[in-house]
Amino acid sequence: MDVEIISQEEPANPQFTVADLDIEILPVIYDILRSIEKDPHDSQKAKESADTSQKILELKSKLESARAQINKLPGIEYSKQEQLQKLETLRQQLRLKKELIQKYRNMCTFDSQKV
Amino acid sequence: MSIHKSTREMLLSVVDDMEIISKELIENITAAKHLKLSTSDHSILIELLINKDKELKSFLTKAEEQAKINQKMETLKAEVHAQDQEIQQLQKQLKEAEQILATSIFQARQKLQSIAKANKRPVPSEELIKYAHRISASNAVCAPLSWQQGDPRRPYPTDIEMRVGCLGRLSDLPLNGQMVGPHSNITDLHRPSGQQTETIPPQVGGPFAWHPSGEIHMSVTGQGTVPINTHKQETEDVEVMSTDSSSSSSSDSQ
Repeated sequence: MDVEIISQEEPANPQFTVADLDIEILPVIYDILRSIEKDPHDSQKAKESADTSQKILELKSKLESARAQINKLPGIEYSKQEQLQKLETLRQQLRLKKELIQKYRNMCTFDSQKV
Repeated sequence: MSIHKSTREMLLSVVDDMEIISKELIENITAAKHLKLSTSDHSILIELLINKDKELKSFLTKAEEQAKINQKMETLKAEVHAQDQEIQQLQKQLKEAEQILATSIFQARQKLQSIAKANKRPVPSEELIKYAHRISASNAVCAPLSWQQGDPRRPYPTDIEMRVGCLGRLSDLPLNGQMVGPHSNITDLHRPSGQQTETIPPQVGGPFAWHPSGEIHMSVTGQGTVPINTHKQETEDVEVMSTDSSSSSSSDSQ
């Protein structure tokens, strides 16, 4: 619920999510392998090899784009355990701060003897 | 290993692995027949590639979860920041209150000190009243009813008091006719009396000086002092003053 609110509140900075990823590498490799494994006729060979090298280039760019997209993904700077630990720390911090505020608010009683 | 490495690093390493495996596969296929890997090795490579793809998918699922956690963290951070602001404001208010309290405690302590000082040396009310009588006796319009000759009390300022006052300063002026404007003496009024008593020698008390005997001596320049018999006049004055029953002087009560 909160997550939705936040994502709605920040339309200027849309976050890149896993759903937006386009890193299907296997089909590209499959395509390359299939095009090489074909036993082409000599006349077609030149054309096929050009096609294959094109596909290899495509694979390279796909891998590069996969790396770039992974780098754009938010919240994966830590491993999941570390992240959960940090989340817990934040919760703890928030709890302590709330307690402190409560303490400050209830401080209006004065001990006249101390004064 | 996955504990210490971030998910991003893991994902990138899987992509690297896939790149290497695919390169290997392509090289193997394009290689000459005698250099080719066996079919089993080839299938192992393919299986490895598929496993790596699965690994990539699982890491991506993890990344999706982590993105959600990240958003939660962002929410928490925003909340923590808001709390920080509130804490700072409260601290500021507390500091102000502390300052105000410290000032009032300081003032209260000063008052307590003066109370303690007063308690240490209490002044009885009778003494205070006596002092008041003394003041009124020397500044009254008439002498006390019980005044008799030889009584050191005076219904007017005594010689010492006169010397301390403004008129005493006036009489310090030289008698050779050098008149100084009255304004010049006004500043003398503000001089502390203690300083004046120190600066005036008792010998130069003006043309008239009181002596312990009660006689007035008129000082004439170059000829010493001339005693003046004032006894008779004084008695008359006393009579006049003592008959003044309409006076509201507080010295009547003595």
